[in-house]
Parts: sequence; C-alpha cells; structure tokens
Amino acid sequence: MAAAKKLMSVRRDWRERDVRVVLAALIIAVATVATIALFASQLQRTLVSSASSFLAADRQLEAENGRPVPEPWVTEALERGLETGRMVEFSTMVFGTDAFQLVSIKAVSNEYPLRGELEIQGDSEGSRVQVQNGPAPGEVWINPRLLRLLDIQIGDTLEVGSRNLTVSGLLLREPDGGFSLSALAPRVMMHVDDVASTGVIQEGSRVEYVYLFAGDDAALEGYYQWLQPQLGPSHEWEGVRDGETFSRSLDRAESFLLLGGSLAVLLAAVAVAVASRQYALSQRDTVALLKTLGLGSSGIGQLYLKRLALWGVTGMIGGLLVAVPLFWLLTRLLSEALDRPVEFLLDSSALTPALLTALVSLFAFAYPPIRRLRNVPAMRVLRSQPGETGREALPDMLIAIVAVFGLVWLYAGELSLVIALLGGLALLLGALGVLGWLLVATLRKVRGGGHAWRLALVGLYRHRRASLSQIAVFAMTLMLATTLILVRTSLLDDWQAQLPDDAPNHFLINIAPDAVDEVAGYWEERGQPLDQLYPMVRGRLTELNGQPVKEVVSKDQRVGALNRELNLTWMPSLPADNSIVEGSWFEEGQKDGVSVEAELAGKLGLVLGDELTFTIGSDKVTETVTSIRTVQWDSMKPNFYMAFPPEGGLTNMPATWITSFHLPRDRKSELNEFSRRFPTVSLLEIDNVIERIQEIVRQVTQAIEAILVLILAAALVVMAAVVSATLQDRQREGALLRTLGGRQSLLVRSTMLEFALLGAFAGILGVAAAEAAVWALQFRMFEGAFSWHWQVVLPIPIISAVVLSLFGRWQLRPVLSVSPMLLLRRLE
Amino acid sequence: MQTINPDSQRPMLRVENLTHRVSLETDTLTILKGVSLEINRGESVAIVGRSGSGKTTLLGLLAGLDTPTEGNVELDGAVISQLSEDERAQLRAHRVGFVFQSFQLLPALTALENVMLPLELAGMEAPEKRARELLERVGLGERLVHTPRQLSGGEQQRVAIARAFASDPAILFADEPTGNLDNRTGQEISDLLMALNQEQGTTLVMVTHDEQLAARCARQFHIEAGELTEPVNERELAD
Repeated sequence: MAAAKKLMSVRRDWRERDVRVVLAALIIAVATVATIALFASQLQRTLVSSASSFLAADRQLEAENGRPVPEPWVTEALERGLETGRMVEFSTMVFGTDAFQLVSIKAVSNEYPLRGELEIQGDSEGSRVQVQNGPAPGEVWINPRLLRLLDIQIGDTLEVGSRNLTVSGLLLREPDGGFSLSALAPRVMMHVDDVASTGVIQEGSRVEYVYLFAGDDAALEGYYQWLQPQLGPSHEWEGVRDGETFSRSLDRAESFLLLGGSLAVLLAAVAVAVASRQYALSQRDTVALLKTLGLGSSGIGQLYLKRLALWGVTGMIGGLLVAVPLFWLLTRLLSEALDRPVEFLLDSSALTPALLTALVSLFAFAYPPIRRLRNVPAMRVLRSQPGETGREALPDMLIAIVAVFGLVWLYAGELSLVIALLGGLALLLGALGVLGWLLVATLRKVRGGGHAWRLALVGLYRHRRASLSQIAVFAMTLMLATTLILVRTSLLDDWQAQLPDDAPNHFLINIAPDAVDEVAGYWEERGQPLDQLYPMVRGRLTELNGQPVKEVVSKDQRVGALNRELNLTWMPSLPADNSIVEGSWFEEGQKDGVSVEAELAGKLGLVLGDELTFTIGSDKVTETVTSIRTVQWDSMKPNFYMAFPPEGGLTNMPATWITSFHLPRDRKSELNEFSRRFPTVSLLEIDNVIERIQEIVRQVTQAIEAILVLILAAALVVMAAVVSATLQDRQREGALLRTLGGRQSLLVRSTMLEFALLGAFAGILGVAAAEAAVWALQFRMFEGAFSWHWQVVLPIPIISAVVLSLFGRWQLRPVLSVSPMLLLRRLE
Repeated sequence: MQTINPDSQRPMLRVENLTHRVSLETDTLTILKGVSLEINRGESVAIVGRSGSGKTTLLGLLAGLDTPTEGNVELDGAVISQLSEDERAQLRAHRVGFVFQSFQLLPALTALENVMLPLELAGMEAPEKRARELLERVGLGERLVHTPRQLSGGEQQRVAIARAFASDPAILFADEPTGNLDNRTGQEISDLLMALNQEQGTTLVMVTHDEQLAARCARQFHIEAGELTEPVNERELAD
C-alpha cells in the first residue's frame, strides 16, 4: 500500500501548516506538563530538604528528660541504613579573660549537620565560609557577640566548666538555629566528645539530648513505626512537615506551578482544536476523492485514526525531548539560586500526566472534527457541497470543555480553580455573543469605499464569523495569559507584604516581669520600638473534657503541639493579624475561657465549649474554649496556640515576657550593649531565617517565570493556528483588490486597522474575563483581598492591537510581493 | 455484494423514474424529474445540457456518489439505493472509474502513486506494474515521479485517465473531461479517452456541453430543467 501509506506519513504531514500547528501544540502541551510535573516534584524535594536543614536532618528525636535515649535506638537506625548524628544542648556559664557569660551550648558529633550547612568566619575580618561539620574536639565556635561580652579574641581559650577550649571560629549561622524559642543566650558550639570532660552535666542538670536522622522517606517511616511504641512522654519526634511556614510556602508554590501548567495546557488544547478543525476542512476534497475511488467510510475513519495515533506518538516523543533539557535548565537555575547542587532526577511518575494530556488533547480536541470527515459526501468531487454550519460541532465543544476542565482539575486538584476558570470563560463567551450581535447590527450599515477604516470595518463585517471566532480565541489566550500574570504579581506582592523590609528580625525572650518596662524603654529611646509584649507561660495540654488528651487523640494524628510544652499567653486584645473564625473574643473584664488556634483546634477536633486542662509546673488549669482564631504563622511575630484573657486562668503563674522587633543589619553591634545591660534576657536572631524564606520565594519566582515563557510559546501557537484559518481567503481578497486597482498602501492600512480592531476587542474581553477569574481565584485559593490591576490590565488591549495589526501586515507579504495574477493562480 | 449480477444480457445501467430534490432554507428545489434510461454494456453515451440543467447531479446519482430522492438506479445489476455507503464504495472500487473536469489528483502523491491508489484500495495485485503500464499507455512513461503541480493540465488529465482505467472498470463516468483544457489538448484527451474506452470495452457515460465530444459517443441524452428529452441516436444524426 505504498500510495496509501504515503498519504498518512507524518513526514509528508509536516509539510502542511495545520498539521504543524497541531503537532507543535501537542509538543508544547506535553512539554509543559512534563516539565512542570518534573520540576514540581524536584522543587518539593528541594524545599523539603531546604526545610530539613532547619532540623539539620530529616527527622529529630529530642529527649527533654535530661537522659540520653537507649543505645539500641541508635543502633537500630544505623541498621536500617539511616544516617545518624547526636547533639547535646544545655546552658552554662563560660569564662573569658576576665568576664563571664551565660551561654547556650550545643555540642555536636562528627556527623552534624546531616542536612544544611553552617556558616562560619575564621576571624572577625575574614570571609564567611560554609561548612558541613562542627568544631573539632578541643575547639569551640562562638557567636560573634561573645567576643565583646567576654573580651576575647579568636585563638584565645574559653573556660567551659573544668575544660579550656580554643576559640577557633565565629559561628554566623547554624542550619537548625531558627525556630526554637527555648534557645537561650548566645551560642557556643563544641564537640560532643568534650562534654564529659567539662564536668558541667550533673545528675538533674537541664540538658536536652537530640538525635538526628536522615535517609529516604520509607526507611525513616519504617524506623518511626518501630520506635513509636517505645517513646516516652518526654520524647519528641519531629519532621519538617511540622514547620507551618514552610509547608505553606510549598503548597502555594505548587498550586501556582500547577495553575500555570493548566493554563498552558488549555492554550495548547485550543490550538489543537482550531488547527485540527482547519486540517479537517482542508482534507474534505481528499476524502471525497478517496470515497469516489472506493474507500468506505470505515476505511476513511481508520486512515485518519492511524494518523491521529501517529501524531500522538510524535507529540509525546517530541514533548519529552523538549521537556528533559528544559527541566535540566530549571534544575541548574534552582541550584544556582540555592547555591548548592540539585540532583537532576527524572521521576517517571511525573511523566504520566504529560502523556495523558497528549491523549486527551488529541481525542477530545483533534478527533471530533476529523471523525466527521467520514460524513463528507462523495458527491463533493463533482460539486462543492454546503460546508459545516458549526452546529454539528456543538457536542464536540461540550466534550472538549468537560475534558479540559477534567484535566485542569486533575493537575491543580482544586475545584475552585476549575470553577474560576469556567466562570471566566462563560463570561467571555457571553460577552462575545453580545459583541457579535453588535457587530452585525452596526457594521451592516457601513459601506465600503476608498477609506482604509471603512474597508477595515467592512472587512470585519464580511468575515464576521471568522472575526468572532478569532476574537474568541485571542480573547481566551489573553485571558489565560493575563490571569497568570496577575496571579503571579499578586502572589509575589502577597509574599513580600508578608515579609516587609521592617519585618521583625529579632526576638527577645525571657524578659522578667519587672524588667518589661525598662526593656521597652531601652529600644524606644533608640528609635526601634518593640512590637507588642506578651507574657509566656510554659505548659502542656493534658486533658480534653476531663479525659487524658493522649487517649482522646489518636496517635496517627501526631499533633506536634501535644508532644511538647506549649507557650501559653494572655492578651488584652486580639492581635491585628489574628482573626476569629468561631465564637467571640474575650469581653472587657472577662476572666474565664481560652482562645485556640484554628488549625490545632481542627486537628484535635475541638469545638466551642470543650474543656481543656493544662498542666503548668505542678498546677492544673481548666478552661472552656470560647473562641477559635487563625494565626499568621509566617508574620515573624510571637504567635500562640492558646490565649487566655488578662487576669484569667494564667494569673499567678510564673511568666516571662516575649516580644519581637526589627533591627537593621548595620546596627547589630548594638545588641552587645543590650546584652550587657540585660544579661538575663535571651536574644534570638532570626534574620537568617527570613533570608531563607526570601530565598525560597526567589526560587519559586524563577520557576514561575520559566512557566510564563512556556505559556507564551503556547499562545503563539494558538495565534498561528487561528491566523492560518483565514490566510488563504485574505490573500485571495488582497490579490483581487490589487487586480481591481486598489493601491498597496490602502490594502496595508485597511488590513492593519482590521487586525488592530480585532486585537483591541479581544484584549478588552480577555482582560475583563481574566479579572473575573482572578477575583474568584484570589477569593478561594490564595486568600487575599481582590483589587483591580489597572497598571497590568490597561496595556494589554493596546499591546494586543499593535501586535495583531503587525501580524496582519506580515500576513499580507505574499500579496504585496507577488504579481496579483501569479497569486490568484497560485491560490486557485 | 450479492446484488451484483454481471449478466451480460442485462443493461449496464438502468434508471427508473429518477427524481432528486434538495431542500433549501425556504423551499424545495427539484433538480431531476422522473428520469428513466437504459445504457447497454460497452455503449458510449453523452449527457448534454446547459449549465444548471441537472446533468452533473444525474451523473452523481448514476455513479452512486449520491442517492436519489425517488426512483431506482441499477448499476451492473446492483440496486444502488439498497446498498449501504460502504457497499457502494466497494462497488465503485471494483466496477467504476471516474474522470473529472478538475482532474482531482492528490497533490501530495506522484503521478505513479495517484494511479496506484485505486488499485491498492481495490486490493489488486502488483499495483505498481499495472500503474506503470497505464501511464506509459497515456504517454507519461517519463513523468512517473512528478507530482500534479509539476504537470500541465493536459498531463494531469492523462494521469486521471490512467487512474480511471487502472482498476479495469466496467463503466467509466466522465464529467466534462476537456472542460479545463484548450481546444487542441482537449482534442488529444478525448482521443485518448475514446481509444482506451474502445480497447478496454468499457461502458462510457460522459457529461459534457462540448457538442463535438458528445458527437463521438454512440448516443446522446439531452437534459433540460431536470427532464430528459428523447435520446438521440448520434449515428442517425450523422446520416
């Protein structure tokens, strides 16, 4: 079947413009989904391991009872192929030349850190270096402030208990130095083997033994399953997913990546649909002839089905060939942003959605018009038959809409996203209906003439069906691209707004009640007022409605807050960034009740009216839940799970005060003076943590930009598909106009005007629909307030008008460069 | 294909009371009104008439490209209106050849491949050998690998004629075969068509408004406003 085979060869197909558009759109769809899926899973791994470095491991086991854990626990981890490390944390006095200071010691084993890295400085003028180990035995690294506080230099000795250790470096950043408010006083880091010889740790000393574990998820999970039954109440197992801030950033980044991917797929699907309809139209003569020559409609169906299958395979292979280098590039970018190697790992499970996309686009968008080729009458060889009215394509459109929203739902996993897009599109189609009616009603009265704008208007009217479908496709393209730009902008603004330049970057902890006013006054005088000061009482949630909480809440729920002491507080008023979701805030003078953070309440299944019992030291306090409130965890301000009213259940409990404030980097040296003046106040420097969060925002931004490029490519393909739909008609008209004596300049001006009008209409509609979709998205997905985006939105119709009119000019090239006769003959 | 009965005594084509209407937006247009005719095996027949008289519609119905609103067409023993579309396609593949005014060659295929196509579709053996022979017979032995774009109008119609005879059809339908060609080329093409028709003993049904070409057929049917006027015997006219 040489001739018949040749009829369906892809190589020959490639010469046809419409087929090229279908294949390009398929390749883009597959490439986009594959790249995004690969990158999303890579980003997830990277961010998790970034977040892991906050623990200096994948998991931590803390023993707060001052005793090491049984040795077999560590042996078991090693046998399961996990990496392990060990830390001992305690506070003690250290002595310098002629000063002493309470410090917080972290003694680490050789393996520390299993994840992340430390930043140190060999001397106060030296450069910062990143290392993946702690100090050697006999040496210590210290917080730079200790140089002044103890009046020592690098190379001097530091007396820790009965040992003299050499100061060999300044500790600028430790991976796990961020979040724990129990960290007291400036840090000194030493080797764990030196601890015993200092003699500092005695029976009953307040010491925390921390064990670090790293390895693959399955091994870690297996180990935890083994370990869990043996854990006592003072043991706390911690994983990265407990860090609210990071899992939130991660979820948003993922949602956004998937949204971008879905939009690219929508665009590519539109391109596939338009181009394959065009292709089907161009095949009608061939089909009629094949029927005349004796090929039955089932034979025709098979012929084109095979061709579709070939396109599908080509699209999949092509898409993957594009995706892999693109993904490689993105991992390079990520690695650069993070300043550390990122593994280039092709996760085969990430490729399934890409292949599914190719199949769905092909069968929901390309197949229906091609399937209808079977119905082309053979009689067409003798006489042209009435074309399709568009009505028979209605069921196809329904199938296509269902398919595409199914795809979006599958990727984004967010029904609200699907509904927002569907709503935006419905609005767009409604507006188009009105516009179409207006076009027909007003333009009918315009008569052609020698003026370019009249010719343009007549042109719009004459091609009103094509004009409207072009406006529809361009408007849809613009809507999707604009939605993405808007969401990206507002997402980034959102993040930056969360971490303004003057976001608090230092915590003051352990402020004695009688020192509160003095501390606040100290910073007030220096122009750095403190944020709200909160009392802090350490206590454990032990009973829920009279039942021990560990019995009521199943272990599977693994609520971290139950495993450790909570910071309890009382507040006179609701902090500005908290909001009540159920119940009501304490009234003036109210003395009972407790307000619970919403997510914890959800995990514990708490409702208003539940009785909670807290154990604080040897006392028990029981209060009723009177409100549930949300908390802005990433605000870098003190946040509390449990808030009591002033003079409520916490009155007379031993409290210290906590606050946060912003201190510019160049004023950090002032902290020394503060520490000298208030030696008992602990200072927590979290500017490093903030830097890390901003780093993650930067990574995500770069990923988003890469995706915008893909979307743009998809939009260009859609444009090519749409323009190709009317190319021949327009060229023939242009040639006729020239034959009949029209001047070139008239032709150029009227065509450019016609396309500019098309572009402007499409731009206005697309932008309006995008605003509607973003409004819905913002509402549901990103929990932000909606505002108009004039600065982004206004230029889009203008740009679209200019670009389209240039496109129209470009399309005219063959009409202008060739003699009309030659052109008419060529187009016959 | 049980309805096909290649009984040589029966006429090749029998048409009874053929009526064809198309519905337009407002009313119905009757294109053919009660046409009846018989064409014998090996006969050559011209259908002549002015533009819009319904002759092309009649040709389409005779060849089974379309089905009539009323009446019967019996082609080589098969009642066309009783066949499914696929059965009609089968019938065309094995028994019918076509030549069109606008040639209708597939632009992507070479001359040779265009001629091979119906042979492949009919499942015949050695399609390439047969296609070569035919192209040589129509004088295009040197142009086998040229695509239609690289051929002149007359050459394209020769390819189309070779394709029409490729599957050894019992009946050949030609729609204005010289309509797109200049006089001299048209003359050459009609010579070739007639000669091949003679050689192969094919029944020929040709629609034309070229009086000269029509005169070369054994019989002529005149069609006017969808109705057949009496068949005219060309030979009688010539006498």
